[in-house]
Amino acid sequence: MGRIGTAVLWAVALLLGSGVSAQTLRIGVVGPMAFVQGEHTWYGATLAAEEINRAGGVQIGNQRYRIELIRVDTNEMTSVTDAATAVERAITAQRVDFLVGGFRSEAVLAMTEVAADYRKIFIITGAALDGLLAGRVDRNYERFKYLFRVSPNKSSDLARTSLLLAGEVIQAVRQQLGIPRPRVAILAERAAWADPLVETAGRLFAAPPPQGYGAEVVGTWRPSATATDVTPELTAIQRAGAQVIFTVLSGPVGVPFGRDWGRLRIPAAPVGINVEAQQETWLRATDNLGTYVATLNSLAPGVAITPRTIPFISTFQARFRQFPIYTASGAYGAIHILAEALTRAGTTNVDAVVRALEATDYTGPTGRIVFDRTHDVTWGPGYTTGLGVQWVGGRMQAFWPRNWQVEGRVVSYAGVRPYQLPPWVVEAWRR
Amino acid sequence: MTGPLRVWSLPWALLYLRHEVLALPGRTLALLFVLFLLLFPLFSQDPYWLRILTLTAIFALYAASWDLLSGYTGQVSLGHAFFFGLSGYTSAILGRETGLSPALTIPLGALLATLAGVLVGLPSLRVRGPYLSLVTLAFPIIATGLIFLFPRFTGGELGLSGLPRLGQSRLEEYYLVVVIFLISLLILWKLASSRIGLLFHAVREDEAAVRMVGVNTVRLKLLAFAVSALFAGIAGGLHAHYLRVAGPDSLSLFNSIQPVIWSVFGGIATIYGPVAGTFLLFPILEILRVTEELRMLAFALLILLVMRFLPQGVVRGVLDRLEEVCPRCKVRNAFTRRHCRACGVELHLPAAKEVKP
Repeated sequence: MGRIGTAVLWAVALLLGSGVSAQTLRIGVVGPMAFVQGEHTWYGATLAAEEINRAGGVQIGNQRYRIELIRVDTNEMTSVTDAATAVERAITAQRVDFLVGGFRSEAVLAMTEVAADYRKIFIITGAALDGLLAGRVDRNYERFKYLFRVSPNKSSDLARTSLLLAGEVIQAVRQQLGIPRPRVAILAERAAWADPLVETAGRLFAAPPPQGYGAEVVGTWRPSATATDVTPELTAIQRAGAQVIFTVLSGPVGVPFGRDWGRLRIPAAPVGINVEAQQETWLRATDNLGTYVATLNSLAPGVAITPRTIPFISTFQARFRQFPIYTASGAYGAIHILAEALTRAGTTNVDAVVRALEATDYTGPTGRIVFDRTHDVTWGPGYTTGLGVQWVGGRMQAFWPRNWQVEGRVVSYAGVRPYQLPPWVVEAWRR
Repeated sequence: MTGPLRVWSLPWALLYLRHEVLALPGRTLALLFVLFLLLFPLFSQDPYWLRILTLTAIFALYAASWDLLSGYTGQVSLGHAFFFGLSGYTSAILGRETGLSPALTIPLGALLATLAGVLVGLPSLRVRGPYLSLVTLAFPIIATGLIFLFPRFTGGELGLSGLPRLGQSRLEEYYLVVVIFLISLLILWKLASSRIGLLFHAVREDEAAVRMVGVNTVRLKLLAFAVSALFAGIAGGLHAHYLRVAGPDSLSLFNSIQPVIWSVFGGIATIYGPVAGTFLLFPILEILRVTEELRMLAFALLILLVMRFLPQGVVRGVLDRLEEVCPRCKVRNAFTRRHCRACGVELHLPAAKEVKP
């Protein structure tokens, strides 16, 4: 072979080489990166991408693709316009193939409109409102079939979980304190999303078993989501003689609630939704007064929802020195789900990938993920349920689901311990 | 034989262009700006940059509408998002309920915003200064409360999505918005330069004096509120249909404060100042996306620096350096001229020699 032949061979090799290096899937990870929700979305996606790339990338047909993550700061907490523009920039200027993330529902709504315009698959991992998918994917499938949600469960399902947690605590009061008809106070922040939950909780708690919990609702208190003092509400709840406080708090008010409740030693056990209490900084934020507060969550230390939960938490903590919040596990799952769907589709053709995504049956850190007809994550036993967690002994500990009997089966996760009533509640009400 | 030049004849237009537009740097820049907007798609149809320019034009109109009210009449509105958001929601709901196209629902939304402008303007007859600003601030908060109160009608926290698009493509939407923006701007500018605009100024400076000369200031202030709300409403409707979402964010405090920042940055009580402010700040904020962590910090620093060195706003600051007012006839001249283009008087008079006694 002469020099020319060698040169041609080199040229071909270089061309092929450049072709191989171009086999990259660009995934835009969108979120408010200045906030913990966005930061954890990025961390979760990073972890998944690194795992996949280490294993040789994503097999699509005869080709292997590396995953390249593009960080897209949406600034969505401040401006919806900014968020939608960031997504358009990601698609048109940064040339992403897929999108994963999003946190604030209103901003996600605008971002998904842009994604639908460009027929880009967008897997939501942080926004909960039902209407992001329901009423869009089912009513206008051709436009919105590119949207999926991996986490969290939609708000109506989160409400279901929080009501189940309340049932658990009401039952604990009934059995351990010998109170046949426990009194429940509802403490919900003044926000639109909380209204239907307050209404349903009121009806469900008061209804007799087996439909309801057979409790007495002593009243509903609605502090501001940004209140810095809830002493008046808590004092009123104490005077009303409640043994349980059903909390519906997503805003910063969760911290003053925990602090005031612990400081005043209110003899009523809090349970429900308290987003602040989901974070590992909870005890520090409440000066250790938030012990025994219970809330729904998606992960807890030492709880193996699936065989993938503990490895995910360990790797995440080793790498980022933080306990993952739900956006982290959501983004981690979303990248794996997408990679699996691409492999099954055997092509990057968007319609084929959508069909493959619809057939997803993936077991991730937070449960088994199967999409329903609106492309939302299925809630329930055998799928994803969420967890009930409580702060005991200086750490977050799961108490639900534990021997949860539903649809003829018993659901329990390894590492879930019994719920503990606060000692001063027991002291005040033991008969 | 040559006859007198007819207005709108080509020679007249050319003469006007030469002597009235190109003679002044400010007007030349304005002409270049308009040409840039109209010709930009010939050089690039990148959808991202078309989006940036479209949104900037919408927000520039919004800022100019704030300027007419707050800059000219001094009725400082801190709740301008009320008109912006109200129009967006109205257009979205009308479109959903009646199936009308945005070509009808946006004007109807703007019309409702105009009525709302009169409603908000009523307290201005009794309260002034910071008290009026606080009253205006209350309206978007009330509107947000109502949105959460009737979630089935308004979409609640999530807002309304799936609104019809303004056009079939980004390019079509761009030209539609730019044309509406330029026409609206022309109307606002003409109004601000008219006798009514002078009276707006007068109301801001000394309302009692204006009333003394027999001018109905009540009507003037309500007119300012109504016209300002109308254009804020047009911007709000365009914005909602461009994003295809009408949500509570459009009524947020941040959205009320934005036109204030753009207007002060560009120069208040000018109409073109807020436009320049928006067209500088909005794209700069986009360019700063490359420094994700420092984006907002860099943006704030930039505003602080500009405000430190150009306290009257960018436009006033730049124009004061590029143009000079004739000391005799008050006509503006380019800084390069030695004699006034109107009266011929020397613009740079030598400093008077000190006369020793």
